[in-house]
Amino acid sequence: MKDRYTAALLPLGVIVGFIAVWHLLVKLSGSDIFPTPLEVVTGTVDLARRGVLFKYIVASLFRVSTGYLLAVVIGIPFGLVLGWFSRARAAFNPMIQILRPISPIAWIPVAILWFGVSDAAPVFLIFLASLFPITTAAMAAVQNIQLAYIRAARNFGIRGLTLFRKVVFPAALPQILTGLRLALGVAWLVVVAAEMIAVNSGLGYLIIDARNAGKRYDLVVAGMVLIGLIGLGLDYLMRRLETLDEVRWGFSR
Amino acid sequence: MSKLTKVALGTLLAWIAVAALHARLNLGLDPAALFNRSNQAQGTAQFRVGFLPVTCHLTCPVTDWINRNSRGKGFYEPVRFSGFPEIKESLISGYLPATFMLAPMAMALRQQGVPIKIVYLGHRDGTAMMVRKDSQIYSVRDLRGKRVAIPNRFSNQHLLFRKALRQVGMSIEDVEMVEMPPPDMPAALYSKAVDAISSGEPFMAQTELDGYGRVLYQAKDVWPDFISCVLVVSQKTIDENPEWVQELVTGIARSGLWMQEGMDHRMAAADAVATQYYNQDPRLLRFVLSKPPDRVHYDKLSLARADFAEIEALAREAGILDGSITFEDYADVRFSEQAHGAKPWEKP
Amino acid sequence: MTFPGKAPGRDVHVLEAIDLEVREGEFICIVGQSGCGKSTLLNIVGGFLPASKGTARIDGQPVTGPDPKHIFIFQENAVFPWLTVEENIGFGVKRSSAKERRALIHHYIELVGLTGFEKSYPRELSGGMKQRVEIARALAAEPDVLFMDEPFGALDYLTRLRLRAELIRIWQQERKTVLFVTHDVEEAVQLADRVVVMGKRPSRIRAIVPIDVQRPRDLDDPRCRRLRDEVFEVMGFDHSGQRREDAASPAAALQEGTSEESSSEPAVSPVSVWPR
Repeated sequence: MKDRYTAALLPLGVIVGFIAVWHLLVKLSGSDIFPTPLEVVTGTVDLARRGVLFKYIVASLFRVSTGYLLAVVIGIPFGLVLGWFSRARAAFNPMIQILRPISPIAWIPVAILWFGVSDAAPVFLIFLASLFPITTAAMAAVQNIQLAYIRAARNFGIRGLTLFRKVVFPAALPQILTGLRLALGVAWLVVVAAEMIAVNSGLGYLIIDARNAGKRYDLVVAGMVLIGLIGLGLDYLMRRLETLDEVRWGFSR
Repeated sequence: MSKLTKVALGTLLAWIAVAALHARLNLGLDPAALFNRSNQAQGTAQFRVGFLPVTCHLTCPVTDWINRNSRGKGFYEPVRFSGFPEIKESLISGYLPATFMLAPMAMALRQQGVPIKIVYLGHRDGTAMMVRKDSQIYSVRDLRGKRVAIPNRFSNQHLLFRKALRQVGMSIEDVEMVEMPPPDMPAALYSKAVDAISSGEPFMAQTELDGYGRVLYQAKDVWPDFISCVLVVSQKTIDENPEWVQELVTGIARSGLWMQEGMDHRMAAADAVATQYYNQDPRLLRFVLSKPPDRVHYDKLSLARADFAEIEALAREAGILDGSITFEDYADVRFSEQAHGAKPWEKP
Repeated sequence: MTFPGKAPGRDVHVLEAIDLEVREGEFICIVGQSGCGKSTLLNIVGGFLPASKGTARIDGQPVTGPDPKHIFIFQENAVFPWLTVEENIGFGVKRSSAKERRALIHHYIELVGLTGFEKSYPRELSGGMKQRVEIARALAAEPDVLFMDEPFGALDYLTRLRLRAELIRIWQQERKTVLFVTHDVEEAVQLADRVVVMGKRPSRIRAIVPIDVQRPRDLDDPRCRRLRDEVFEVMGFDHSGQRREDAASPAAALQEGTSEESSSEPAVSPVSVWPR
């Protein structure tokens, strides 16, 4: 019992300390512009009162989840195929490695030209940002499968699509899951950049617009804090997935 | 059902829930808005007009606000952007049929072959260069060797600055010029990252209101009747929907005249626009529109070749235009001429 | 089952003319020093490696690839970590009726002594238990032949002893044909009906030593000790592991290849299996 308390106390202590230092620094620097923690809280409450907070959170969640899930649905099969067929890998991998380091921000002009100013543009950016880590993870996962499993399965007469379904996919799943968790982090990171494109809702938009609105840096930081908290929540969900029996074996204690 | 299938199903359901919430809260339940690429009018669908939350573009939301209040509905949809690059891309891709934009930028786009036409002005004056109150800079000459921020090399603030330098016998090489988004300029001046800033309002006035900024020069001191932003419409829209373009231009003309009629009109506009369209503090807009009263004015907005001749000359010198296009190429004066005799709005 | 012929191994000539017959229901152990190619031989017969010359046959049919009728158990455990013990054992089961499947799986869980662990996952099991799951899985597929390549090599000494006894017990019940590769001569003597001794690379069969002792065998029994020494002798060591002169006298049938050239055909053509 005592252990659980102390375990929670430690990170909480760090966070409280961080807030205290933040407050002190702002006061000491006498800055007119940077908000104190309290101002951030009041700014958030103000947003909630205006009914805007929930709308913005939903908007960002929608765009991230849509772009991300699209990347999952396309990236996993694509990565699996690339991992399994060396010819396909030789063909596609160089192209992927060229596209991968291009920051999603660089894709913004292209996104606007193709999708105009709508939800589709940020969804596209988030999709791009998530696709590469997921595909690469699936590809590596298949390549790293222990040969013993494939050998055993073939011994039992399992071949082709059944082999994929019954052996390759489950064996690759832990590493795929790690890639999924990383990609979700990246997707949520990109949301600010993606929402810079004149959409009129969302947490990223909140930040950009607050900055345009003049001195509302309390909202800017409020947006940042919200993004951080939701990102934490999403990561926690993914970690829970890793405890499922079908994949737990792939993660050391 | 295996646990994995359950997880997949659960995720799908969660996504549907989020999507439904989003549709209801943010999109007004219109699924077509997800992929709104077209700029076609469908029946009574609204045309989009782009703007930035700056004083230059005030007539855009004001016209819409007046229309909604007097006629019950607007005849176009104002779309707020965060920066000129996004406006530029939306114009090029056809998403925006019309928008407010920097005059030199519009001219440069036309020179690059984008089929657009300038049909009206945004405002006159309304720009300044600010320095820190506690600095030793009292005239343009004192800027020698200093760092000056402008929004964009395609901005009229850039050309304005060149003109100001020329007037005191200096050249652009005598200063260090940097490009910076206008919303970041007040903070940059405050933290002394730059020595002087120049962009449209209300960012200049913001430094004054917050007590650390001082006007080095106003646009009207260097370049009387200075033009910053213009109303740009795509050629396609001009050809296919000239009546709408005329309605827009006339509406803007009338809004401009209405705002010139009296300070109370301006204050009303400031309050409404700040909260409903700009998401800014109304105090700021009020300040810009009143101190001094001729900081910016919204009349005499029709197109005249002479205004643009000077812009062209300075732009060529700055290297952003090459002189291959003429006034006829980038401007269409028909609408502004038609709006000539317009009367200000009755009452909003 | 017969397997003559040479073996691949890229540029390494691993096996020389091997000619061996195995009867149905026999427990054969193949022993030899490391690198002598016993694993290679097993892989060829199991269908995981192609022979560069000659054919392996099982029931008269040439071996072309892995076959569910011939299940292989390797040293590295290949139990699927994402399936429970139950699901693993059921993996190769060919029965279609759900009732039959359940009965079969249950039978083998009991047989290998893992009752109570049906719903456990491999990560919760010890190394020895995982090997038992693998054996059960192999048997549940109802194969004709079982190939085992040093299956107890990765386990600790006591577990190895225990599993050897278990294996004999299981085998006596099921009476499958087993080919068992090991470097442990005592293990071979304890398990096999006949011990096939292979020489150094490029290896041939140096001798086949029949073990005529009743099971379960006590390794301290003088008959076992003598047989063990005989195997050592064939391999060229004395019982303490010291090298002797390369003695040639085999105790039982030995077929030699006709020439030392690597490209010659085996002298004797394959003979089919004698049913028991």
